[in-house]
Amino acid sequence: MKYDVIVIGGGLAGLTGAIRCAEAGLKTVVVSAGESALAFASGAIDVFGIEKDNALVEFPFAAIRHLPSMHPYQKVGTGSLQQALTFFTGQMAAAGIPLNNHGQQNHGRLTALGAIRPAWLSQEGTVSLPLRTSTEDLRRVAIINIAGFRDFQPALMAAGMQQQPGFCEVEFILADIKTETLNINTRNAYELRSLELSRTLKRDLFSQPNGMNILSSALQKAAGNADLVVIPSVLAVEGGNDLIRQLETLTGLRICEVATLPPSLPGMRMASALKQRFRQLGGMFLEGDQVLSGCFEEHQLRSLKTRLNPDMPISASHYILATGSFFSQGLASDRHHMTEPVFGLDVETSQSRDQWSDSRFMDGNQHNFSHFGINTNEQLNPYRNGQKINNLYCAGAVLNGFNPVQEASSGGVAISTGWFAANRIIATMPQAEETC
Amino acid sequence: MLNIIDTSFDNCIKCTVCTTRCPVAEVNPDYPGPKQAGPDGERLRIKNPALYDEALKHCTNCKRCEVVCPSGVQVGTVIQLAKARHDGFKKGPREFILSHTDMMGSLSASTAPVVNIATQLKPVKKLLDKVLGIDQRQTLPKYTYQTFRRWFKQQKAQQTRFDRQVSFFHGCFTNYNDPTVGKHLVAVLNAMNIGVTLLKKEKCCGVPLIANGFFDKARKNAQLNMGQFADTLADSECVLATEPSCAMTLRDEYPEVLHVDNHAIRERILFAAAFITREFAKGNKPGMKPLNLRVAYHSPCHLIKQGGVIHTMELLNSIPGLDVMMLDQKCCGMSGTYGFKKENYQTSRNIGQGVFDQIEALNVDYVVTDCQSCKMQVEMNTAHKVMHPLTLMAQSLI
Ligand SMILES: Cc1cc2nc3c(=O)[nH]c(=O)nc-3n(C[C@H](O)[C@H](O)[C@H](O)COP(=O)(O)OP(=O)(O)OC[C@H]3O[C@@H](n4cnc5c(N)ncnc54)[C@H](O)[C@@H]3O)c2cc1C
Ligand code: SF4
Ligand code: SF4
Repeated sequence: MKYDVIVIGGGLAGLTGAIRCAEAGLKTVVVSAGESALAFASGAIDVFGIEKDNALVEFPFAAIRHLPSMHPYQKVGTGSLQQALTFFTGQMAAAGIPLNNHGQQNHGRLTALGAIRPAWLSQEGTVSLPLRTSTEDLRRVAIINIAGFRDFQPALMAAGMQQQPGFCEVEFILADIKTETLNINTRNAYELRSLELSRTLKRDLFSQPNGMNILSSALQKAAGNADLVVIPSVLAVEGGNDLIRQLETLTGLRICEVATLPPSLPGMRMASALKQRFRQLGGMFLEGDQVLSGCFEEHQLRSLKTRLNPDMPISASHYILATGSFFSQGLASDRHHMTEPVFGLDVETSQSRDQWSDSRFMDGNQHNFSHFGINTNEQLNPYRNGQKINNLYCAGAVLNGFNPVQEASSGGVAISTGWFAANRIIATMPQAEETC
Repeated sequence: MLNIIDTSFDNCIKCTVCTTRCPVAEVNPDYPGPKQAGPDGERLRIKNPALYDEALKHCTNCKRCEVVCPSGVQVGTVIQLAKARHDGFKKGPREFILSHTDMMGSLSASTAPVVNIATQLKPVKKLLDKVLGIDQRQTLPKYTYQTFRRWFKQQKAQQTRFDRQVSFFHGCFTNYNDPTVGKHLVAVLNAMNIGVTLLKKEKCCGVPLIANGFFDKARKNAQLNMGQFADTLADSECVLATEPSCAMTLRDEYPEVLHVDNHAIRERILFAAAFITREFAKGNKPGMKPLNLRVAYHSPCHLIKQGGVIHTMELLNSIPGLDVMMLDQKCCGMSGTYGFKKENYQTSRNIGQGVFDQIEALNVDYVVTDCQSCKMQVEMNTAHKVMHPLTLMAQSLI
C-alpha cells in the first residue's frame, strides 16, 4: 500500500506535521502505537521559557536567536517557528479550541503545584498571568477542589504559590465542594481520577437542566469574593473551555482551570482536537499499531513493517518519525547504549554512561539524557550508519540538541519541527497544493 | 478446563490507559474498567477465587483495552478467561438463543417470512422482552428466505471457471440474515479473476458463544472449522472472512481464548479487504467507474484490534469519486449480542452516542462500516443508511 506520507507517532509533533500534509492534499497516514505525551501535558504550549541560568524568558522569539546551532529552533529558524505556531493556532481554532497568546511575549500559567511556568499559548479556560506576577489586582485567590478528588491538593498549590514573590501577600481561600452538593453519585471518590470524574459530572450533573446552576452556586459559595478562582481541570475533555466560560458568566468570577496529575484533560482535549482535524482533512489515523522496522535502499526508506500487519509492508514517498522520547519509546537505552529502536538511526549521546544523568535526580540540575536524541542535518533528515536518509524527517521529542524540560520548549519544538518536516515534504511533491 | 494460568498479565505497568479507553467504563459506573477487572483482579483471583468480581459480566470483549495497552497485556482475553474459570457468565435460554446463531439461523431460515413478521410485531417483542429479556426497543435482524449457501449453489459452476480460487468463510449473518455482502464479495473477486468456493461445512466462528460463555461449544466449532480449513486450503489460496469479528476470532481468539492451535494456517486466514488490497498492490485491480458519493467510515472495534482498518480504507480510497471521511474511532456499543439484552440496552446506546453524534453532525450520503452489528446499531440510532465497503465496490465495478 502506497501513500504520499506516513507519519510514525501521533503526538503533538506527528499530528501537526500530518495535518499540514493532509491540508496540502497529500495522502497521509499516521501510525501511532498508543497514548502520546499530550495525555500528561498541561494543554498549554511552551515555546522557550527558561534560560540556561534559570532566568525566565520574557521574549521567546528573540531569545532563541542565541541558542547553539544544533538546537532544533536553529534548524527550522524563527520565521518557520512563528509560521508553524500561527498554523497550529488556526488548526486548533478550527477544531473548536481557541488559544490565547500575547504577541512576542510569554505569559505565566499556573501549575497544580502553585508554580508559574512561562508559556506562549494557553487555552481559554485558563487565566494567563503576567510572568512575574504583581499582586496589584490579586488580593484573594480561592482554590477549590471537589471533595475526595485526590489528584489535586489546594493546600499544596497554595503553599507553592506563596513561595512566588508576587503572591506572598495574597489571601488564600481553600475549599472543597461536596459531591452531595453536586448530586453526583461517586460511590468511592478515592477511585476517581480526572477523566472518571468528568464522566460522572457529565452523567449526574451536566445532564440535569439546572446542572450548571448547581455548580455555579456551589462555586460562588466556596469562593466568596475571590479575584481569582482556581479549580482542577475535571469538568470535561471536549468542550471544557466552554464550560469554564459559562461558569464565569453565571458566577461573575474569574475562573482558571489547572491541569491535574495525569490524565490531564486539557492535554487530552488538545490531542482529540488534533486527531479530529486530521480526519476532517481526509487523513487516516491508525491507532494501536506500531512500526517495528523499515526497509532501506539507497539512502531511502522504502517501506515499513508494523506489528498488526507484519507481512504487508506499507510504503510512502516520504516519512516523518515523531515517536517521542524515552517514555513514548521513541528512544531506548540499556546500560551502555542509547538507541532509536525502530530504524536504528544514529543517536547523539556524546558522553559516557556515568554522565548521562545527575546523581541527584530532582535537585533542579538538568540531566544530560534529556538532551539526547536523533542527530539530524539542517533539514531534519537523520543518519543511519553515518548515511543520511533523504526521505525521512524527524520531529519532536525524538530529536537531539535541546532540553525540553529545562528550557520549557517542548511544545514549540514539537509543533515547529513537525510543521517544518511537512513543509520540506510538500516542497518536493508536485501534487501538493500550496496553501500557506 | 483452562487450568493453566498465564501470568503475562503481570507485564502491566499500571498506567490506566486501558481504563481511559474502555467504552463500558466510560458510561457504566458499575464496571471497574479493564485495569481492575483484568491484570489487577487476576492477582487477587489467583490467590482466592472468592475475590472474583461479579462486575466482569459488563465487559463486552471489544478489545479496545488491548489495542491501547503499551505493555501488550491481553486484557480482554484475561477477563473472558476469568469469567469462564469463575462461572461468571449468566447462561439462560436467552443467552443460548442469542449466541447459537447458526442453530437459530437454520431453524429460522426455512420459515423466514413468518419469523421475520413475528419478530417485528409488538406483542412478540413484548413477549421476548418479558420472558427472555431481549430488549423490545431493538429491531431484531431479519432472516433471509434464501440462505447464502443456497444462492451460492447456483453460482458454483460459474466459479470453477477461474484458475485462481479462494475459500469464503461466510459466517452466520451472511448466510442466514443478509447474504448481500457475500454476493458482493463474489462479484468483486470475480471481477479480479478469482473464483470463490465455500467450505464443505462451516460452523459459527464462535464469537457470540465466547461472549456468552459457551466456551466448550465454541471450542468444538473451532475444531470443526480448523479441519475444514485444512481441507479447503489444499485447493484454494486462502480463506477469507468479511465479518471483522469472524476474522479476528478465527485468527486470534482460537489460539488465545479457546486454545485451539491455528499457527500452521493462520497466515492464510484473512480479512477479505486485506486480501483484496494485497491484490491491488500486485496490480490486480478491477475496472471501476466513479461513484460520486461522500461517506463517513466507522471502524469496528474488532477490525481495529486486528489492524484491518488500513485495508478497508485502502479499498474505499481506490473507488474513484468516493470521498471518504474517517470517523473518530469510537465504539458503537452494540457488541454483537450485548446490545440486545434488556439490561444492556441503555448502556449500549450511551456507548454509541459518541458515534451517533458525529454522524448526525455530518453531511454525508452514507455511513460505511464492515461489521453487521455496527450497521444495525447505527441504523437504529441515526437517520443514515449504512453500507458495506464491498457493496460500494461492487456498485463501482464496470
Ligand atoms: C508530563 C508532561 C508535561 C508536559 N507539559 C507540557 C507543557 O506544559 N507545555 C508544552 O508545550 N509541552 C508539554 N509537554 C510536551 C508536549 O506535550 C509534547 O507532546 C512533547 O514534547 C513530545 O511530543 P512528540 O509528538 O514529539 O512525542 P510524544 O507525545 O511522546 O508522542 C509520540 C507518539 O509516538 C508513538 N510511538 C512511539 N513509538 C512508535 C512506533 N514504533 N510506532 C508507532 N508509534 C509509536 C507513541 O505511542 C506516541 O503516541 C509535556 C510532556 C509531558 C510528558
Ligand atoms: S474488552 Fe472492551 S469492554 Fe472489556 S475491558 Fe476491554 S475495553 Fe472494556
Ligand atoms: S494499559 Fe496495559 S499496562 Fe496500562 S494499566 Fe492497562 S493493562 Fe496495565
